[in-house]
Amino acid sequence: MSRPKLPAVRCLLLLAAAAVRVAPAAADAPPIAIVIHGGAGVIEPSRMTPAKEASYRAGLAAALDAGYAVLERGGTSLDAVTAAVRTMEDDPQFNAGRGAVLNDQGDAELDAAIMDGNGPHAGAVASVLHVKNPVELARLVMEKSRYVLLVGDGAEEFALEQGVALVPRSYFRTEAREREFEETRHTEWAPRAGGARAGSGAQPSSMGTVGAVALDRGGNLSAATSTGGLKTNKHRGRVGDTPLIGAGTYANNQSCAVSGTGEGEYFIRGVVAYDVCALVQYRHMSLAEAVHEVIHEKLPRAGGEGGVIALDPAGDIAMDFNSVGMFRGARDSRGRRDIAMYRDDAKR
Amino acid sequence: MYAIAIHGGAGAVPRAKLSAAREQRYRSGLEAALDRGYAVLEGGGSSLDAVATAVRILEDDAAFNAGHGAALTRDGAAELDAAIMDGRQLRAGAVASVRHVKNPIELARRVMEKSRHVLLVGAGAEEFALEEHFTLVPNQYFRTAERLEQLEFEQRGERVSDLVPPGPPGTVGAVACDAAGNLAAATSTGGMTNKRPGRVGDSPIIGAGTYAKNGVCAVSATGHGEYFIRAVAAHHVCAAVEYRGLSLTQAVHELLQLLRALGGDGGLIAVDREGQIVMEFSTEGMFRGARDARGRREIAIY
Repeated sequence: MSRPKLPAVRCLLLLAAAAVRVAPAAADAPPIAIVIHGGAGVIEPSRMTPAKEASYRAGLAAALDAGYAVLERGGTSLDAVTAAVRTMEDDPQFNAGRGAVLNDQGDAELDAAIMDGNGPHAGAVASVLHVKNPVELARLVMEKSRYVLLVGDGAEEFALEQGVALVPRSYFRTEAREREFEETRHTEWAPRAGGARAGSGAQPSSMGTVGAVALDRGGNLSAATSTGGLKTNKHRGRVGDTPLIGAGTYANNQSCAVSGTGEGEYFIRGVVAYDVCALVQYRHMSLAEAVHEVIHEKLPRAGGEGGVIALDPAGDIAMDFNSVGMFRGARDSRGRRDIAMYRDDAKR
Repeated sequence: MYAIAIHGGAGAVPRAKLSAAREQRYRSGLEAALDRGYAVLEGGGSSLDAVATAVRILEDDAAFNAGHGAALTRDGAAELDAAIMDGRQLRAGAVASVRHVKNPIELARRVMEKSRHVLLVGAGAEEFALEEHFTLVPNQYFRTAERLEQLEFEQRGERVSDLVPPGPPGTVGAVACDAAGNLAAATSTGGMTNKRPGRVGDSPIIGAGTYAKNGVCAVSATGHGEYFIRAVAAHHVCAAVEYRGLSLTQAVHELLQLLRALGGDGGLIAVDREGQIVMEFSTEGMFRGARDARGRREIAIY
C-alpha cells in the first residue's frame, strides 16, 4: 500500500537533493569581480557640489556596470577592463581620452596600458596625441604586434596600420581643461626636497587617471589604466607610471592585478603595481596588507601620493589611497556594488 | 667594498663568426668602459658617477648597440633609450625614443636631477635636452655602415612584419657599489634592429631593464626586452633578494629561468650591497666585465 507513495517521495527527495546541489553550486561558482578607479587626489565634500558629485558617481557607475556586464555574460576580464576603461576615456570628467589634462603645449598627450594575467601578456602606448581610445590601441599592441610599448608618432603609425581612425587634437580638449590650462600655465613648480610638499605653486588637484582590474569566470585577472598624465605643467613627452608595466599597471594570475593612480614618478620609482603583487606572492601577505604596506608605508616614505585598486584570484578586492579621496567602484558576484570617492564614504 | 660590472649586450655570439680582430675590438671597448668606471670608484666617486661614466664610454663606442653605432629602426633611423637609477633614494631618470641626443645616459641623468619627472620620450625629451643646453646631433651621427648592413640583411631576410621574432639584441649597461655602499644602475640601447619606430624596450623602464635599491641590489638587463618588461625583470631580482632572502645568484638564475619559460632570452648583471657581482645569461654569449676592490678584473664574452 505504501508503494504508490514511493515515487512521489523519491521525487521529492530528488528535488530536495537537486535544490541542495544547486544552492552550493551557486555559492561555489568561481567569483567574478571588477574594480575601477577614476583618479585620486583632493576629492572632498567641500569641493563638490551635489550636481558634480552625482555626475561623478554616474560616470563611475556606467563604467563599473559596463565592465561587470561583460563578466556576467561569461566574457573575459580583458574585455571587462577594456570596456570599463573605454567608458571612462569617453567621459570628459575623467583625465583620460576626451577631457584629459593638457600638457605645457596645450595638448592632451595620452598614455595607456593593458595586461592579461594569463601569460602574462601586455601592451602599452605613451605620448599619443590623436588616438580616441588609447586603451584599445594598447590592446592592439599586445595582440597584434611583437612589442609591448610603442610611443609617440610610431604608436600612431601602428594605429593607422591597424585601421584605427585618428582624431584631431581638438577632440580631447574640453572647455574645463582649457580653463585649467590657462590658469596653471604660468605656475612655477619647485622641486621637492626630501619628499616635502611643494609650496603654493603645486596646485592640489585630482591626479586623475582611470583604471580597472577584473577577474573572470575562468580565473583570469586583467588590469588596464589610461591617463592624460599630470594636471599641472606636464612637460611635453613626460610619461608617468600608467603605461609602464609593473609601475601603474600589472596583472598576473599567480598573484594579483593592480591599477594605480597618483604621482606617477613615485609609482615608477617604487615599481608600485608589481611590488603589491610581489608582497602577496613572496611575503604571503593578504591583498589588503600588501596594498596597505605599499600605499601607507612605502609611498609616503618616498613622499608619494596616490592610490591603487587591486584584485586577487579569490576575488578579494582592495581599494586604498593616501590622498584625500579616490574615485572608485567595485562590483562582484557576491552582490557587492559600491561607488565611492571620499575616505569616509561608507559612513555617509 | 666597491665594485663595478658592465655589459655590452647578450645574444647569439657564435665563436666561429667573431674574428680575432673583432673580438679584440669588443674586449678593448669593454676594458675601457670598465676601467674608467672603476677609476671613479677608486677615486672615492659615487656609484652613480661610475655607471654613468662606463655607459657613456660604451655609447661612444661604435661596436656597441647604444649611442654611436646603435641598431637602426625599420626606417633606418637610430632611436635611443636609456635609464639611470640611484639606489640611495630610489631616484631615477629615463629617456626613450630620442633621435638627436649624443649620450642618452646623460640626458636620463639630467631628467633625474633637473626635472620632476622620471621618463621623457621623443620630441618632448629633446625639447628638455635643449632647455638643459644639450647640443643635439643629426641622426646620421649614430648610423654606421655596419648597422645599415645589418638592417638591410634583416629586411632582405624576412618580411617586415610585426610578428616576426627580433634579431640578436644588444644593449649596454653598468651596475656599481661604491665605498659608501650606495648602489646604482644604468642602461642604454638602440633597441632591436629593424624595430618599428616608437618601440620602447625594457632599458628605460625602471624595474624592467634597470633598477637599484640600496641594501638590496642594482641590476641592468639586456635581451629580448618585451619579455623583460612583462616579467618586471630587474625588480623581480631585487624582490627575490629582499622578500624571499634568495642570494643574488639564485635570484638572477631564477629570473632567467622564468624568462626562458615565457620564451625570452637575455642576460643580467647585478651587484649587491656587499659588492658581490653576478653576471648571467641564457644566450650564447654576453659581452661583460667586472672589477672590484678585492682585485678581480675580468672581461668575458662566452
